[in-house]
Amino acid sequence: MWVKLASIDRRWIYGLMIFVIALALLKPVGLAIIPSADTKKVYDAIDKLPPGTIVWLGMEFSAGGVPELMPAIQAIIRQGFRHDLRFVCGGMWVMAGDMCDQAFSIAKTEFPNKKYGVDWVNIGYKPGNEVLLQRYLTNVGEAALNIDFYLNKLDTLPLMKEFPNLKSAKMLMIFCTGTPGEREYIKHVSGPNNIPLAQSCVSVSVPEIMPLIQAGQILGLLAGMKGAAEYEVLVNKPGSATAGMDAQSFSHGLIVIFMILGNIGYFLTRNKKA
Amino acid sequence: MSASLTLWGTWLQALFTILLVSVVFKDNPAYRFAEHTYVGLFAGYFVALTYFNYLRPNITDRLIKKGEYLLLIPIVIGLLIYTRYIRSIAWLSRYTICFNLGIGCGYVLSKDFKPFFVDQVKATFLLLWGTGNWWKTFSNWIYVVGTVTSLVYFLFTLQKKGVQGRISQIGRVVMMIAFGAAFGNTVMARVSLFLGRMQFLMGTWLKLIKI
Repeated sequence: MWVKLASIDRRWIYGLMIFVIALALLKPVGLAIIPSADTKKVYDAIDKLPPGTIVWLGMEFSAGGVPELMPAIQAIIRQGFRHDLRFVCGGMWVMAGDMCDQAFSIAKTEFPNKKYGVDWVNIGYKPGNEVLLQRYLTNVGEAALNIDFYLNKLDTLPLMKEFPNLKSAKMLMIFCTGTPGEREYIKHVSGPNNIPLAQSCVSVSVPEIMPLIQAGQILGLLAGMKGAAEYEVLVNKPGSATAGMDAQSFSHGLIVIFMILGNIGYFLTRNKKA
Repeated sequence: MSASLTLWGTWLQALFTILLVSVVFKDNPAYRFAEHTYVGLFAGYFVALTYFNYLRPNITDRLIKKGEYLLLIPIVIGLLIYTRYIRSIAWLSRYTICFNLGIGCGYVLSKDFKPFFVDQVKATFLLLWGTGNWWKTFSNWIYVVGTVTSLVYFLFTLQKKGVQGRISQIGRVVMMIAFGAAFGNTVMARVSLFLGRMQFLMGTWLKLIKI
């Protein structure tokens, strides 16, 4: 039996995984989501900012990061708009403008009094990677060639008059899936200028980022979809991350079961093969 | 965006998601069609976005309208990379690469050393007793011992025997645990990605669940 199990067709595993995820999405059991210390640190840091403060949202990801990062961004926008914070967003990744556009799509229905250009600006993607960040530190308008994602002139937007450079941001909140990402912000922006930096990242990046948190270079972290779900709990607005937590937990359980079975099978059949 | 366009977009997204996921069961022409379409679309999107957001404003506003002719220098250096297609002057393309390498090395040396070496080393200078919190003390010990033993593992000039061998063994175990954590997070990330698509298929497309 173990020999058979050890050589099981991987498609059965994929099929079972799809079934478990679908079932958990259809019939959620509502497992508890308890915010971690790192998530709370981000929440508290944003909560302490006085109304009117400008926060930079760095959209350093593309479509692949949406399931894990978009719920976190939207939860932060909700928290920020409730506290009358203002946001300027942009990024070094090609889809930065699209991601920002999708994130702020909630403003129309949930915060109808918030206006583009006054409460938030989407600078979008500009090429240059870390050189771009350096130029943002001296003059955002010049570095962004005076146009936003929607091709508006930046100098016509009221918010940008109060945001001449990246140093005008009282906090940096970045959403990353890789390079360029947090390291570029640490070495060019947050480190030399003492601007608090918080991050939301995809789960795969968490081990790489932990030393940066330990060193105090990042003040808090929303780790993957789990971190986003925790943030949704903190802002009291459950979204797609909260809805996905049951499915994620059950799928992880399934993977663990397969790993245990695989290992038992390996040890029991090892001698027979020899 | 009009409602019909949104509907078309949703169906297209659903179709391409299914085509791309089909590869886990077997490689097939439908998957390859979806993959090539995605790559082509992304390349086209990147070119269009860079042109409208960067190249055009740089050339029309800064170079032509404002007369910032110094911009011609980086433009020429950049364009030299294409000389590699003409064999007789292909050597000129090396200047672009040299320029990039020089800037890259300078940048790394001047910007990376403090945050990613000095500050990281400083972060390991932790209190090993007297923190007033036993969990913090324990964590500090794990952190310091883990860092030191992992570094000892990479001392290749000494044979892994005796005390150094045993410390290396501990370093190896520490790294195995770290790799396990990294693998766990990788699995979590991949499941999250698939979960996102399942939420789209079952929620936005089929309306079976509410998000």
